Amino acid sequence: MRIDQSSSLLPEVKRGKKIRIVVDGSFLDAFEGETVAAVLLAAGVIKFRLTREHRHPRGVYCGMGVCYECLVRVDGVDNVRACMTPVVDGMNVETCREVEL
Amino acid sequence: MTETFQLAVIGGGPAGMEAAITAAEAGVTVIIIDNFPSLGGQYYKPLPDEFGARKKTKTEREAEVLFKMVKGLPITQVHGALVWGLFPDEKQGGWLVAVHGEGAPKKVHVQAVVLATGAYDTPVAFPGWTLPGVLTAGAALTLVKTQRVAPGRRALVVGTGPLLLSAAAHLIDAGVQVPAVCEASRPFFKAIPYAFTALGQLGRIEEGIKYASKMASARTPYKMGWSIVEARGTERVEEAVITRLDSAYRPVEGSEQTIAVDTVVTGFHLIPNTGLARMIGCEFEYCQEKGGWVPLRDKTMQSSQPGVYIAGDGAGIGGAEMARLEGRMAGLAAAVQVGGITQGEAGGVYGRLKSELKHQRGYARMLGALFTPRPGLTALAKDDTLICRCEEITLGEIRSAVAAGARTLGEVKMITRTGMGNCQGRMCEHGVTNAIVAALTAEKATHQQVGMYSIRPPLHPLPVDVLADAAEELD
Ligand code: FES
Repeated sequence: MRIDQSSSLLPEVKRGKKIRIVVDGSFLDAFEGETVAAVLLAAGVIKFRLTREHRHPRGVYCGMGVCYECLVRVDGVDNVRACMTPVVDGMNVETCREVEL
Repeated sequence: MTETFQLAVIGGGPAGMEAAITAAEAGVTVIIIDNFPSLGGQYYKPLPDEFGARKKTKTEREAEVLFKMVKGLPITQVHGALVWGLFPDEKQGGWLVAVHGEGAPKKVHVQAVVLATGAYDTPVAFPGWTLPGVLTAGAALTLVKTQRVAPGRRALVVGTGPLLLSAAAHLIDAGVQVPAVCEASRPFFKAIPYAFTALGQLGRIEEGIKYASKMASARTPYKMGWSIVEARGTERVEEAVITRLDSAYRPVEGSEQTIAVDTVVTGFHLIPNTGLARMIGCEFEYCQEKGGWVPLRDKTMQSSQPGVYIAGDGAGIGGAEMARLEGRMAGLAAAVQVGGITQGEAGGVYGRLKSELKHQRGYARMLGALFTPRPGLTALAKDDTLICRCEEITLGEIRSAVAAGARTLGEVKMITRTGMGNCQGRMCEHGVTNAIVAALTAEKATHQQVGMYSIRPPLHPLPVDVLADAAEELD
């Protein structure tokens, strides 16, 4: 969920330009400056990938590019860290793909 | 293409910015290379450039002063780039920094390097910790502060350290319900010997009070001496089980409570990010209060590798103020080394920095003593709990490896493949080490004996073509 109320810890902000990305075949609204991870979480998508061995779901864990748990496919490229990747208008994101690492 | 500078600063947080500023002011040519889209790092967590803000928090204003100084000096900034290798330049002397990122130079030749790579949340394993919905305090704060996105609707906050209060308060302000904050330690009792140190940090105490009052008005209890023992759910977190801890930080049987949540935020202190220092063979020592393995440094922040300075949390957890001072010290020493200023010119500043650093260390020691995760906490994992998230290796498999004769981290890695995945061991080193030490209590094994993962380039997984290219060039 995007946070819309403002408070002393989170003063009001104006998000970047409104854009659209495609996530698993559907359009999602996004704002410039957001990361892929933020857009997914804002839409309630929390399963980002499946593990190789047991096909267990994983999502954002460290949020800073260290754990590699948030890997998704972006514009045809596998294993992209959603938490480190800013969205771009028209970007195509696929979650939980069957991939070989 | 190789670009040349006198100094490379790796990391754009408080330590990195200060190092770059100090060196550039002394006339040194500086390149600052950072992983994120803009300066600030994990402490300042700046809003994206595309976002606008009318009002700013105190920390944001503090950060802005530093951003302006960096911008006002001839400092080359490279953002969104990974430093994947650091190599001594055999021919010309100095160091070669290998970089991967759009628009970034592939190689940078420098005479000196400041590593200001910061820290990450200590990954503490408990049953269910790999479920989507379990995330670190760092991740939750980044989402809330820089992205203005709430990670869930109802979040339990667990772990140890002041960061829990910050995470809880920010989540509450983000409209997230926080049913409880479980602080494993009992800081109030242990804080007494540090009362005077704390008095020197009134600013921070004020901050703490602000967070506490947010929690009070949201009726979020701060449960000291409590910890999570399990997160449950099929595809994502649905509930969490918490328990009271005894004085050895072990769960007290019968005290369990189950709380329905969709999110668990865990903050168990921090671990210094030391990959590059390990890669070049810096000497390390084990220091639990500073977050584990930390590089040895002289008074000017120089590591055992000449020309390589290490500043901030990446050299041992000490907080942002200490990071800034260490960054200045490292920047100054690097400037002297490359001839930007003379030892004599630097002398007075050295002295001042040294005494300020000494002062800050008291505070760092206090935090370490109050909140370092204790052995009991690291025993939350069960035999079927994953310790290595990447390769999906359980505690039971690690124990079997030890039973089969493995005594060091390296040996366990060879038998089980822990630490061979994408994160290069950053997520599991802590857990695997503790598992080995615990399994060898009878032999009185220590962290020193168990050792650390050795790190080889590339520090991060790289696209195959990039790596092939680079290998050729570096030869
Ligand atoms: S959440 Fe850890 S790398 Fe993205």
